Amino acid sequence: MFSIRSLLAPRLTVHAHCDIPCGIYDPNAAKVASDTVAKMVEKIDAAAQGAWQRGPDAMTHQNNLVRSIAVKEEHAQICKRELLILWTDYFKPEHLEKYPQLHETFWKAAKLCSKNKQSVDAQAAADLQAAVKEISDIFWATKQAA
Amino acid sequence: MEPTLREGDWLVAVAPWRRPRAGDLVVLRDPRDARRLLVKRVRAVRADGACEVAGDEPARSTDSRAFGPVPPGEVVAWVAFRYAPLGRIGRVR
Repeated sequence: MFSIRSLLAPRLTVHAHCDIPCGIYDPNAAKVASDTVAKMVEKIDAAAQGAWQRGPDAMTHQNNLVRSIAVKEEHAQICKRELLILWTDYFKPEHLEKYPQLHETFWKAAKLCSKNKQSVDAQAAADLQAAVKEISDIFWATKQAA
Repeated sequence: MEPTLREGDWLVAVAPWRRPRAGDLVVLRDPRDARRLLVKRVRAVRADGACEVAGDEPARSTDSRAFGPVPPGEVVAWVAFRYAPLGRIGRVR
């Protein structure tokens, strides 16, 4: 049984978009990752207080310390990856014309991801959160314009 | 290709009867994957006949800026007419 619709429907599909539909980009993934890095810096500071004490909880503190460091490392890397996806795949030359500081902003943000891996630094974590916020604001401004 | 075309539009495309010109809305084989068909607007035709194509919404289009100019033989049809949805029936340019 053919419906009228299937008789009338086009035989071929043409695409106007790239391999994956546009519009799935979202700076929120980078935000969550940068927030996680900041949270882990807090937890590392707290765990480090107890990790060097002797006593029944020493192993627990050490475990928490190592886990927090591992999660910080992982999420700094996730943050960098998510930023690079936005930078290289989402943003286009038209955006750069309107936001000439875009490359500089991304470059600094990516550097901050590395800095947060290398150090346990609340200021560096806050700087990364601010950089991701700036990129996020530009992203949503371009979405408004589109 | 918004606002000219929207996802789900039903279109009539006709076989090319002349060389592409700037401004034409064309169906072409995706240079990155010949099994896929793309719909784009010809932005310029180069001296060698290759077409530079672009989406109507440059900030959200993958086109000749990404895959380069398209040889004229890859342009397989012209978009002429939209027959659905009902409210948007008509000639497409």
